[in-house]
Amino acid sequence: MQEVLNINGISKSYGPIKALQNVSFQVPQGAVFGLLGPNGSGKTTLLSIILDILKADSGSFAWFGHPGSPATRKQIGSLLETPNFYHYLSATDNLKITQAISGRGDAASIDTALKIVKLYERKNSKFSTYSLGMKQRLAIGAALLGNPDVLLFDEPTNGLDPVGIAEIRELIRELANQGKTIIMASHLLDEVEKVCTHVAIMKRGNLLTAGPVDEVLANEDIVELGSQDLGALESILQQYHGITQIKTTDHQSLQAFFPVGTASMEAINQHCFEQGVVLNQLTLKKKSLETKFFELTND
Amino acid sequence: MNLLALVKIEWLKIKKYPAFWWMFGIVALTYPGTNMMFYYGYSEGTKGKEVASNVAKMLLGNPFAFPETWHTVAFLSSVFIMIPAILVIMLVTNEYNYKTHRQNIIDGWSRGQFVTSKLFDVVIISMISTILYTAVAFSFGAWADYDNIGRWAEQLQYIPLFFLQTFAQLTIAFLLGFLIKKAFIALGIFFFYNLILENIAVGYAKFKLNDLGKFLPFEISDRIIPSPAFMSRFGKDMKEAYEKALDAIPMHIALTLILTAAIWGFCYWKHKRRDL
Repeated sequence: MQEVLNINGISKSYGPIKALQNVSFQVPQGAVFGLLGPNGSGKTTLLSIILDILKADSGSFAWFGHPGSPATRKQIGSLLETPNFYHYLSATDNLKITQAISGRGDAASIDTALKIVKLYERKNSKFSTYSLGMKQRLAIGAALLGNPDVLLFDEPTNGLDPVGIAEIRELIRELANQGKTIIMASHLLDEVEKVCTHVAIMKRGNLLTAGPVDEVLANEDIVELGSQDLGALESILQQYHGITQIKTTDHQSLQAFFPVGTASMEAINQHCFEQGVVLNQLTLKKKSLETKFFELTND
Repeated sequence: MNLLALVKIEWLKIKKYPAFWWMFGIVALTYPGTNMMFYYGYSEGTKGKEVASNVAKMLLGNPFAFPETWHTVAFLSSVFIMIPAILVIMLVTNEYNYKTHRQNIIDGWSRGQFVTSKLFDVVIISMISTILYTAVAFSFGAWADYDNIGRWAEQLQYIPLFFLQTFAQLTIAFLLGFLIKKAFIALGIFFFYNLILENIAVGYAKFKLNDLGKFLPFEISDRIIPSPAFMSRFGKDMKEAYEKALDAIPMHIALTLILTAAIWGFCYWKHKRRDL
């Protein structure tokens, strides 16, 4: 698969603070790529560097196989950090400037973008009169202008109400279905898990992991088991070969951890039955992104 | 992206900016207003039949008749550089305030194109000021002494000189906004330096430092347009000083061009390297 973005060993410091340390990863074409990390992990710094807002101390990046340039940025619809518009201009006039600079779309596509983000009715109102959520939607509209193949969203649901968040999530799904490549920084893990195909997790300027969501999450199998007598269940599981760890989740079930791909539901069931414990629950669970995130980012 | 496209984008930003039209209106009133005040003073002082009025008339000539109007109006109007300077500082600091200096780059401008777009802002504002000055000077020339209208094409060099002086001084205003990023601080420094500090320094240097003040940033271009010609008619010393000032114009044109080019060169250099 061709790579849309290739980041190679990027480092950036602000005095003694190392904002990014040798970060490298690739974004394949058609991926919905989630960039995760706690506040201050370096997500926005990294996105700013690949959009030429900040200068990297070392390392390089390439869009579509070419070093970053005005020409490559014109092909990317981007929302970085905050909606940045001229306060005294209307939505339409602001998008005229976006259109004139980027060369993406035409006069008609401004209306189309405003309709997608539900601002068409207020298209002639000044930006300064918009609510926080409307400003955010206008920024998403500007990114969508001219229907670019690559989109970059930094915290796209900032300032949106629950309905707005759901709408943007749906929009991102729709765009992904159209084959667009989407790079999205967020700390809303649930949101990322719902829409992303790939993920990278950062902490204090370091890249902890990156890859397809299934691979990043599935480094072990988690089997949830329940029975009338949890104490007996735990003692017979301790004799079962291949379990790396047993955890009590609540008073009704246990979690048994296996190396990835080694948990067999039939064999576990049979083992318990033969040892005289009847199971009332047996499920193979995927690790949630939230669990993985805390596992990686907690000290 | 060609240069015309950059100008069109800047025009999209400027044309609906209320401060632009305020500036335009204030300049459109200030230039004729100030000159009218001086003209009124001149008319009052010279209209009588008594000896004093006739002497004044003989000494002053008519500073608002062609061709002197080009020089007189340029000198009097150039005092109000702070009005377009406010606009220039607002236009550049707005970009920081709205963070559109980042968005323009994200959307596909190069950093050099961003500085070029601001250069065009300063050119556009300087041109508008020059057009207003030209209209006012011409109107005074035609109105103050219609008999001299045949001499309208003399001393037209003050039109490009007015443009150069305005552009050079607005470039300094731009530099302050570009580096300081906060409108009020940049405006404060501009006013304090332009109206107070440099005038004191130039005055002091004139008597104590062999007139070294002529190399200060605003003074370099102030001396492109010396005091009006009637000032030379008050004795031998004044005449000599006036002729010396006229002789120094070419050197000050050269110094102004060098300083202005250096400022813009620095802005391009700085903007290409810094974090936005």
